[in-house]
Amino acid sequence: MIPKHAIEKYGTLFAGLVLFAFLMVFAENFASTANLLNVLKQVSFLMVLSIGFTFALIASELDLSFANVCSLSAVVIGSLMQAAYPWPLAVSAGLAMGLFAGLLNGYLVTYLKVPSLISTLGTASVANGLAFMITGGVAFVGRWDPDFLFLGRGKIGPVPVIILFTLAIVALSFFLSTQTKTGIHLQATGENEEAARRSGINTRKSKILGLALSGLAAGLTAVFLVANLSSAAPQMAGDFLLNGIAATLLGMTMFTPAKPNILGTIVGALIIVVLSNGLVLLGAQYYIQDIMLGIIIVASVAVSASVLKRAAFAL
Amino acid sequence: MPVKISTRNIYKNYGAVEALRGVSIDIHEGEVHAICGDNGAGKSTLIKVLAGVEMPDRGEVVIDGAPCRFTTPTESLKAGLATIHQDLAVAARMSIYENIFMGAELTKNVLGIRMLDKKKMRQDAAGYMSQLNKSITDMNIKVEELSGGQRQAVAICRALRWNANIVILDEPTAALGVRETEQVLELVRSLKQSGKTVILISHSMKDVVAVADRVSILRNGQNQIDLLAADLSADRLSHYILSGEVEQVQA
Repeated sequence: MIPKHAIEKYGTLFAGLVLFAFLMVFAENFASTANLLNVLKQVSFLMVLSIGFTFALIASELDLSFANVCSLSAVVIGSLMQAAYPWPLAVSAGLAMGLFAGLLNGYLVTYLKVPSLISTLGTASVANGLAFMITGGVAFVGRWDPDFLFLGRGKIGPVPVIILFTLAIVALSFFLSTQTKTGIHLQATGENEEAARRSGINTRKSKILGLALSGLAAGLTAVFLVANLSSAAPQMAGDFLLNGIAATLLGMTMFTPAKPNILGTIVGALIIVVLSNGLVLLGAQYYIQDIMLGIIIVASVAVSASVLKRAAFAL
Repeated sequence: MPVKISTRNIYKNYGAVEALRGVSIDIHEGEVHAICGDNGAGKSTLIKVLAGVEMPDRGEVVIDGAPCRFTTPTESLKAGLATIHQDLAVAARMSIYENIFMGAELTKNVLGIRMLDKKKMRQDAAGYMSQLNKSITDMNIKVEELSGGQRQAVAICRALRWNANIVILDEPTAALGVRETEQVLELVRSLKQSGKTVILISHSMKDVVAVADRVSILRNGQNQIDLLAADLSADRLSHYILSGEVEQVQA
């Protein structure tokens, strides 16, 4: 017999492994080195974005703006590269753009008391508009500084630089969220804001931090995306919105059930990218992916909710 | 016993509502002092003032003879005053030790980085818990898996962790069954035994009579009656609260 809590904690992980094994056997080309590296590269973008979303969600705030903020940061970077500014400046500007958007969300939520669902929806729309304004509706494409492109395309040995960056971000985020005071304050704020506040935790700071990290992650992803494609366009990160939310919610069915957690998000992102990749290789129509995403989002929350409900009934 | 904490002539208005109209109570060191009163009598507001959640319009709180002014909950905690609220005390989905150390987590230095010292927190948490409830030994258990009485024990441990000398319990038995209520009353007695001053807010006359040394009754934002709890029966106490009259003021 497998204990029930083991299924709760590792069930999704196990399902992911089964899916992986299935594709290894049945999907042509899935197991090739080129395809697996491609999967890892694809998952890098999604992981970094979803980690940001997860930080905000740990503090119990929804950030619906991260994808559009990422596109806006990308366009800011692209415009500066196009105007031949040095690449470190362009990168810094992109990161600052993301961070600023996150801080703005934090300000709207904590000082102006606009629920994050609404404030980040507003920020998302503004970011989208600005991105189109900066580009005039077209994309920046250029032969940019190879040092800059190295961030997105370079390899150290056989390993893409982007994967190394992602590993570093994953390690740092995991450490921050589970091993530091800041991380546990973020969690306490999300779990019971009033209790946290009365225990002397600056809950406002925690919420701003969660949303700011989400913005910063969007800026970082923008750097990788632009450097990888050597182009920047409005809406270039649009598809990441649902994928990122799905990765995080799927992650909540793992390790610490019903709680957003970095480790879960990472596995969630892997499962989603592997699934999309596998579907393409199996010859599924493009719209199947959207259907799958929708089902994953709703099913994940249903599973998390059942964990929550049982806990509530146990009282 | 000397007076540990006093409220002196405290006033607090919410718009046109006068929640507190000159409350002056002396609470003696090492005693369990109950504050009773009907709904709307001003109990919650008084607690909020003591806990640093609300600032009084007039009047002051005096601890060990020194006037204090709390503008945040943290200031109240630092003055040695821990308030345990009935619903708000714990984060249910976090572990016992995380709750006990919430806001005051222990850290260790690893290669110049300040990391949470989870092992030390678990050990210390178990130490605090053993003073109150010997049956809970695993500090990793989530608070949602505990009974109501055990949760109160966790909340009280947090007060101990803050080195609070004065512990305010706001309706600690309100949602509890008979056996759990008895557990909480036992917690109150252990707190008293360890030399803490306890302020107990309660609707339950039985509980008050069972553990309190003194009782203050609030009515319409004023403390009308202060008495010793010895020889007091639950019925008589209810009568005082409802009528606001007492044949003979004892304290």
